[in-house]
Amino acid sequence: MTYHPRKGLAALLLAGSALIAPPALAQDSDTLVIARSMDVNSLDPSRAFCDTCQFYLTAVYETLVTLAPDNQSLVPNLAESWEVNDDFTEFTFMLKDATFADGSPVEASDVVWTFNRLKNVKGSPSFLMDGLTGAEAVDAKTVKFTVDAPNSEFLNKVSAPYTGIINAEVAEANGAVSDETAAEADKAEPWFLANSAGSGPFQLASYSPEAELRLARNDSYYGEAPAFSEVVVTQIQDAVSQAQALETGQVDIAMQIDPDTAQSIRSGDVTTEVIPSYNFVYIGFIPGAKGMDGKLTAEVRDALASAIDYDGMLDFTVGGNGEKQAAPIPNGFPGTAGLTPRSQDVEKAKKVLADAGLSDLKLVAGYPNDNVYGVDFNIMMQKVQQDFAAIGVELELKPLTWAVWRDELGAGEWPVTAIYYAPDYYGSGQYVAYFGMIEGFPWVGRASVGKPELVVNPAEADLYAKALASSGDDADAAYQELGEAMMEDAIIIPLVAPNLVLAYRNDIAGVRYSACCNLPLAEITRN
Amino acid sequence: MAMTSPDTAGFSPRRRFEGTRDIWRRLPITAKIGALMLLFWILTVLTVSFWPLADPLAMVGRRLQPPSTANWLGTDALGRDVFARTMYGAVWSIPIAVVVVACAVLIGSTLGALAGFFGGWSDSIIMRLVDVTVSFPPILLAMAVAAVLGPGLANASIAMVIVWWPIYARLMRAQVLEKRENEHVEAAVAGGAGSLRVLGVHILPLCWAPTLINATMDFGQVVLLAASLSFIGLGATPPSPEWGSMISEGATKFYSWWIAFGPGMAILSVVLATSFLGDGLRDVFDRRSA
Repeated sequence: MTYHPRKGLAALLLAGSALIAPPALAQDSDTLVIARSMDVNSLDPSRAFCDTCQFYLTAVYETLVTLAPDNQSLVPNLAESWEVNDDFTEFTFMLKDATFADGSPVEASDVVWTFNRLKNVKGSPSFLMDGLTGAEAVDAKTVKFTVDAPNSEFLNKVSAPYTGIINAEVAEANGAVSDETAAEADKAEPWFLANSAGSGPFQLASYSPEAELRLARNDSYYGEAPAFSEVVVTQIQDAVSQAQALETGQVDIAMQIDPDTAQSIRSGDVTTEVIPSYNFVYIGFIPGAKGMDGKLTAEVRDALASAIDYDGMLDFTVGGNGEKQAAPIPNGFPGTAGLTPRSQDVEKAKKVLADAGLSDLKLVAGYPNDNVYGVDFNIMMQKVQQDFAAIGVELELKPLTWAVWRDELGAGEWPVTAIYYAPDYYGSGQYVAYFGMIEGFPWVGRASVGKPELVVNPAEADLYAKALASSGDDADAAYQELGEAMMEDAIIIPLVAPNLVLAYRNDIAGVRYSACCNLPLAEITRN
Repeated sequence: MAMTSPDTAGFSPRRRFEGTRDIWRRLPITAKIGALMLLFWILTVLTVSFWPLADPLAMVGRRLQPPSTANWLGTDALGRDVFARTMYGAVWSIPIAVVVVACAVLIGSTLGALAGFFGGWSDSIIMRLVDVTVSFPPILLAMAVAAVLGPGLANASIAMVIVWWPIYARLMRAQVLEKRENEHVEAAVAGGAGSLRVLGVHILPLCWAPTLINATMDFGQVVLLAASLSFIGLGATPPSPEWGSMISEGATKFYSWWIAFGPGMAILSVVLATSFLGDGLRDVFDRRSA
């Protein structure tokens, strides 16, 4: 290639003029522009697992059932009706007449193929299909699922965006496999980065990692057409830059503005709403960590939890824009109504530690050095450090990169950590499945580091089975007992449930927060 | 007839030494300002615990308050006094820079002098090691080393020494190569002096000026690199009031500009001071490149 100085100069001038051109990119157009720091791990529905994936998959693929705007009740999506047997082991869905973007009908065989692939490909969201023993196409429009044990939450799981139905024929033609060999034989993940095969109102137009995710309207959509012909998710890293892009009109919606930054927005063209979210940040105790030797008993963990100034925490991490949370189940989910959040009790904490002979306890906290849902983990952990110091416990802080954090967590390098969690669907069972002190569950492994007897709470397994075998008030009561049991475990100590800021230009309507799907793009319009 | 060693006649290294007062007189005004600014920070490091400042780790007021008469540079996200933290920050940043520069000078100069004086395979090995090290971008190498060792100021310091020593090795090798050819050295060798004596007594005393100038200028750069490592989370761990980590905390609270302002100005003043002083010292000692 030869270098042409004149051309280079022209390009420079062009680039310069782009900088000074009026930034009226978004307004009055048929394109919706969204600012977001994207965390995409994959765009393959069976392998993706991220907050960006939630709303991308919702726009492009459709689930059998979905969550109503009340964030609690399930409403028809691809399935027009469904039946559940009395002991919650068989689920039958009747499909409506829908078509994929290529015009072919959505049939029971596609649904069976999709669920089998999700289970067999062993990707990040495959755990949702744990316990699924059979998926069967009864006829072209009827699907029956069977699970190995009563599971009243299976229906809710089916609203998670990762269960969006894929056009089996198109996907198979591009290397996708759904049978038991899928974990190795399926080679379709790269194809899904450039193409989509769903029945949703949008299709994937293009994706460039760390830069832009572009969706185009599905012109042959069988339902009501979305208001925008194009949706562009543009990578903007931090809250302040997102707020500036929103104020200048470069973007229509900014997805990750924290409450402090929202307060500093002065433009009259921007609407901000602060709403409760189902996300929370927590510290976790790891009694099996190196050097602990049985020091972190349930009483000691409870005493440490009593040292924390939860009101102050709320103020320091999110400026008061959040809620306290009792158990590791978000406020508003089944079984949480009767739970009382912990409160600070310094005298009790001191006494318990003195009785246990641990008045000069030294702990180390390893945590990812990150800012999630507006909470700066460094600030949060410095507050914990101050609160622990007040009862004579010295906490050393180790902010880590994600990769190092994961390694050291697995090895039990430190007895305290901090991390966050967001729901994938409406239902409390997913929290028990993750945080419950039941043999074989993820947090038992993390907290015990190979010595499950340190933390396992035998009562919880029975309660969990009871909750999954019942529904309505009975299930709520069982989840409340589980919540109380998990509070007594004092392994997971929720610190803050941060509020979420919906920030958008005044001419945009229909922006809402969904517990399954994050931001439903098809509902957004421009006035 | 008594043999007189030729190096006592016209080539005594001591003649190159000049009185401190003489050096001060010949320094340009900018260098004097730089020296005073550096002196201020050194005095701060030594005496800050006696100053009537707020506790840099304690909450003293509401969070994110703008500058006021009570908190001259406002409060940060945990309600701590930013001015007090900035002043205490010197206790972390300045000694680290001293240690890192001293270690880099010691290791680099020793290896460089050996390479330059003995030549041959020792020269090849040492200088290839230097080439390999400097072929990495410094910040990247420091990040990699700090990431492997884990966060913490001690590890960050080791990382910075690893990045910095090759500069002094090259500098010292070039000096030794040049001075080795001087007649007084040949005379010393002819007079039967051992290798180490020739190197230590007859060559090294003539080589320290460029190293001193470079070390002065690097001092500020090391403060900057330490702050950069802390900024990305590989240096000081919370809650230590290190300048880089303070700026990092301020970056997420952008509209509360005062959180990053204090440590930012502190870093600026140290880097500026050492650049001024280094430039001035070069004017005095190293007239060729002035």
